[in-house]
Amino acid sequence: MSENIAIRVRGLVTRFGTQTVHEGLDLDVRKGEILGVVGPSGTGKSVLLREIVGLDEATEGEITFPEADAEGRAPTMGVMFQDGALFSNLTVLENVEAPLREHTRVSRALREEIAGLKLAMAGLGPDSHHKRPAQISGGMRKRASVARAIALDPELLFLDEPTAGLDPIAAENFDRMTEELARSLGLTVFLVTHDLDTLHAICDRVAVLFKGKVVSIGTIPEITANAEGWVKEYFSGPRGRAATRGAAGG
Amino acid sequence: MAATAAFDFRDDDRAPVLALSGDWTVDTISALESDLAEVSEKLKEGSVVDVGELGRFDVAGAYLIDRTFRDSPAGDKARIAIRGEHANAMRLLQAARKSYAGPAAPVRQTQGIKGFVEAVGRAMASVGEEIIELIGFFGETLVTMAALIANPRRLRMVSIVNVMEKAGLNALPIVMLLSFFIGMVISYLGARILGDFGASVFTVELVAFSMLREFAVVVTGVILAGRTNSAFTAEIGAMKMRQEIDAMRVMGIKPMEALVVPRVIAMLIMTPILTFAAMMSGIFGGLIVAWGELGVSPAMFFSRISETVPSQHFWVGFVKAPVFAITLAVIACKQGLSVGGDVGSLGSRVTTSVVQAIFMILLLDAIFALWFLEMNW
Repeated sequence: MSENIAIRVRGLVTRFGTQTVHEGLDLDVRKGEILGVVGPSGTGKSVLLREIVGLDEATEGEITFPEADAEGRAPTMGVMFQDGALFSNLTVLENVEAPLREHTRVSRALREEIAGLKLAMAGLGPDSHHKRPAQISGGMRKRASVARAIALDPELLFLDEPTAGLDPIAAENFDRMTEELARSLGLTVFLVTHDLDTLHAICDRVAVLFKGKVVSIGTIPEITANAEGWVKEYFSGPRGRAATRGAAGG
Repeated sequence: MAATAAFDFRDDDRAPVLALSGDWTVDTISALESDLAEVSEKLKEGSVVDVGELGRFDVAGAYLIDRTFRDSPAGDKARIAIRGEHANAMRLLQAARKSYAGPAAPVRQTQGIKGFVEAVGRAMASVGEEIIELIGFFGETLVTMAALIANPRRLRMVSIVNVMEKAGLNALPIVMLLSFFIGMVISYLGARILGDFGASVFTVELVAFSMLREFAVVVTGVILAGRTNSAFTAEIGAMKMRQEIDAMRVMGIKPMEALVVPRVIAMLIMTPILTFAAMMSGIFGGLIVAWGELGVSPAMFFSRISETVPSQHFWVGFVKAPVFAITLAVIACKQGLSVGGDVGSLGSRVTTSVVQAIFMILLLDAIFALWFLEMNW
């Protein structure tokens, strides 16, 4: 396929001491897609995310951004960390303003309005603006964290376990919000998750990490068609079947 | 490179046209804000945005256009019609309009004299609360300690010994070094000033009196207040933030028993030892200077101390050590357990812990000094 590739990972090897996390991992993320990354705990999903955004360095291999590289610039990225990682001494609004304050020169009033708009896009109303992260619920913290991640309109949005710890309804709303954001802002989303419902509901493609490699990538029907081993267990276990039924029925 | 954002407003036909050009992103729009405010007054129903020449466009740009229309006489309902082709202009303008949630809530802020008076009042009230809480906490600690001593199998020996090593033994070098210096300084001063009165031989008494009665124990207390209080408060505070304390509570472990009492007991044991070491090393520092400066030999120094310095001076200094120890440890643990959910409160609690501890040590020392002198001890 000749689609634009936003992120290209080739021959990635990651070792921590004697422990090998990635062993020749290849992955392409297409521009504008929502890619779900799944795999058993400890297969280095979060490490892969950290390496792509540049927080950690891989032992070997390369990560490139063909789309941005072609235009001779660095890609813009936003990251939502698992627990939100909001700055706890700033209010929610100030958290979203922080990247704007650092990187742009818009007036204070406009900056606050833009931050407010981003929060609204992530589903947080004005009543939460002046609260501290410790004063709002976990789900709201995640939303505020997404708002901060999209504050500068990045091309690439990274979400680490966005629905972990949310109740099913909140998780579903969060999924819908993510999809709406991605579609309306034209984002490329790299989504690490364990949530089968999220995979079915919003992911264009799913990549399965197992034993340090991407063992399977494609739409869910494509993956389940010739799944074996862990992948089969994952998608056709009781939870997987329920999520499939839910997706088909809903 | 980003092209400068610009617009051209034409009002000559029947429908006004706002033609955008260049990049309208968060990096470029700041220059346009005031100009657009003028445009919005002239917009009428049926105005058109021409995006044919528009370059890059983002949510901030879309928001600014949307705001321009909302501020127009037509108000919040003003529709935005688009002319020309653009990859994402329509989508972003729709997204901006859809998510607009009304004007932001103003921050509640009291300023001026009223705000100042309010802040002072709050600070005073919180000092009062703090004192009451601290006394309450102190009482709770004593009760728990008494209960544990009656039932010593529940004492956590491992953590007591651990704290004794980290907070006590490891502080030994710095405590001894600093009181050594202080002993030297006192001895120097004595040799100089007493020498003017021809009484330089009393330097020995000066060093012994001041080290034994005051300096050794106060120096130890102040060092521990800086060293141990910050560590205790930060440790317990971080546990509080990470919900480890809550985890203990639901397991039926009392933080008082598991965290506070071991620290208090360890400090009760170690502070007198450190104080004793400080006394000895301070006197040794005085001895070195007296020897070099006045030619008082070590043998003479010690025999003079044993002749002229009654042992009550040692006890006057020494009994303060356990009092300081329990004060320090209780303040540190209390502040640690009062840490809230955010980083700011951790920082302010650690600061409060150290400041309160130093304050209390000097205050208690002054009270002790008055009392002992009045009693002629």
